[in-house]
Amino acid sequence: MDVGTLSLLLLIGIFVLLVIGVPLGFATGLLGAIVIFGNFGVPGLGLVMQRVYDLSITYAIIAVPLFIVMASLLERSGIARDMYDALNITLGKMRGGVAIVTTVMAVIMAAMSGIIGGEIVLLGLVALPQMLRLGYNKNLAIGTICAGGSLGTMIPPSVVLIIFGLITETSITALFTAAFIPGFMLAASYIGYIVVRTRLDPSLAPLPKADDIAGAGIAVDHAGRLSELAYNLAPVAVGLVVALVARQLGAGGTEQVASFIFSSAPVGLVLVFLLRNDDRHPIAKGLLPPLIVVDLVLGSIYGGVTGITEAAAMGVVATLLLITIRREFNLVMLFEGLEQTFRSVGTILWVTFGATVLAGAYSLSGGNAYVADLMLNLDIAPIGLILIMMVIFLILGMFMDWIGIVLLTMPVFMPIVVKLGYDPVWFGILFSVNMQVAFLTPPFGSAAFYLKSVTPPEIDLITIYRSFGPFICLQLAVLALLLLFPEISLFLVR
Amino acid sequence: MDDEIKKRIRSGDILSGFRLWLTYADPLENPNWFDRFILFVSRLAMLLTAVAVAITFYEVVLRYLFGRPTLWVNELTLWLGSVIFLLAGVYAMQRRAHIRITAVYDLLSPRLKLACDVISAAVVVAYAALMIFASYRIAWHTLVTWERFGTFWNPPIPATIKPLVLIATACAAIQAVSNLAVDGPKLLRRNSSHDKGE
Repeated sequence: MDVGTLSLLLLIGIFVLLVIGVPLGFATGLLGAIVIFGNFGVPGLGLVMQRVYDLSITYAIIAVPLFIVMASLLERSGIARDMYDALNITLGKMRGGVAIVTTVMAVIMAAMSGIIGGEIVLLGLVALPQMLRLGYNKNLAIGTICAGGSLGTMIPPSVVLIIFGLITETSITALFTAAFIPGFMLAASYIGYIVVRTRLDPSLAPLPKADDIAGAGIAVDHAGRLSELAYNLAPVAVGLVVALVARQLGAGGTEQVASFIFSSAPVGLVLVFLLRNDDRHPIAKGLLPPLIVVDLVLGSIYGGVTGITEAAAMGVVATLLLITIRREFNLVMLFEGLEQTFRSVGTILWVTFGATVLAGAYSLSGGNAYVADLMLNLDIAPIGLILIMMVIFLILGMFMDWIGIVLLTMPVFMPIVVKLGYDPVWFGILFSVNMQVAFLTPPFGSAAFYLKSVTPPEIDLITIYRSFGPFICLQLAVLALLLLFPEISLFLVR
Repeated sequence: MDDEIKKRIRSGDILSGFRLWLTYADPLENPNWFDRFILFVSRLAMLLTAVAVAITFYEVVLRYLFGRPTLWVNELTLWLGSVIFLLAGVYAMQRRAHIRITAVYDLLSPRLKLACDVISAAVVVAYAALMIFASYRIAWHTLVTWERFGTFWNPPIPATIKPLVLIATACAAIQAVSNLAVDGPKLLRRNSSHDKGE
């Protein structure tokens, strides 16, 4: 059988099996096994077990369960709720403030967890009722929560980037570094949108009444609010700068200096916060714990101090410590967290197993080279090919989970991207922005399903999807910027 | 989680709560012996994640605070990770959590749904059968020759994990059939009540 026919049959086979609801990991695994058997007979079939075995003993994947444990423990603690309250006191009184608080909180939580789901559920439980009670526009509130909550897989640490890195053999640390600015661009675009929309049409976000927010008595005039904001966010900025400087120094070979600066960053943060932890600033209590965890995990990855897996383990231990200090720890929480992790890991990993079998079989049969030739022989500019890939991601994203898309498309697309001379890291960032869109696009944008599980019954799926429109446009705009200016993603990596 | 377990753990009777947690089968209706077996193994395997966290943290502390890296943590974590990944897939099968696209499936009548479920289970079984048929000799060989990892600490990772790949895949296939035996009759019952309704 020639490769063209094989490719076509495979495409049809996957489509049919997926449509009738066969689990993705087994559909791809079986097709892969059949392809190998057809081309290489029984001896070739040994590849099936070998691929699964090789993948299961990859050190970097162990970061996946660890980051999921961390996220599921955070969800079960009061850390997130306290953070929300703290942010609310600072920003809640602005026009559209609660929506901005929601986005800022989503960013901080995204920097602690690498998955989508828990974050949206949590924001749906904490932020949505308050926004609805204050009379915020329903669409604005819902869109903010789902778009912000999806950032978990964009802002490092991100399980999407970990799996992308493993499948395409791209440096995960480089991906994490490159994703930093695009992730913040997305968040900034959401905040900008909220500010502009609510300025243009104040009825979308009524101001809270004086007694609506705890901690009344803090600055309410414009200048006062701004200085307060700067005052409170300054340590965060300092921490980030220090982490980046540490990384640069680390690249220069003075690793000890780098790790010293890196390890002093959390200490500095603690000191700054402790010095001003008075009643006027409950923000210290709410923001300090999450920022320590973020600084520890991302600092050690960016600082080049530890690998991803070790950083994740430190994050879990730090989270457990914080929960214990808050006197919230109990074994029920731990067991439930471990159970949730185990289930998610099983679903993520077994899809990966099946796909690695199929990808291996297809590439051994010459499929990758065939598709690459096919696409390269099209009379299209290189950037046009990248655009076609983006469109394929967006279409697949309407129907499929990110994991299925990365596993089915990357083995074929990546060689083409490399052959065209593009940076795989850049392509990884484009891919994860595409997946941000995929979480929101109907009919199967998973963000909507996560939010639906905690919303009051009068908010139905149609309402939820309808509110995503502006946010999808923002995501596409950011995607276009990243496409046109690869340096945005890459300048930190080089 | 079951309230009884929560109560026992919260009241300080951790050991009995833990024992109950290991064996209780709440999310499943009428679990058969295989369900119970997989559930028990899964509950134990979940704890391995905590072990992996603990030893990795231990390594980080030893390496960066005391400058005395260990030889064994990295490879033991590797082994724990692969055990977790493989067993977690069987558990995900039991909880019907494997990623599938249900867009069309949800629109089908109960009888067609059943047909799709049968095909799904057949796919899982065929995949497992092909893998096991092709590799059981190799896996057996690595086990009886106790093939090691070839590093300084030299743990028997291939000797244990290669057979485990096959065992876990076989268990996933058995679980898929067992799920079908539970879900199939339910679909048929809904089908007959559906007919009566018309």
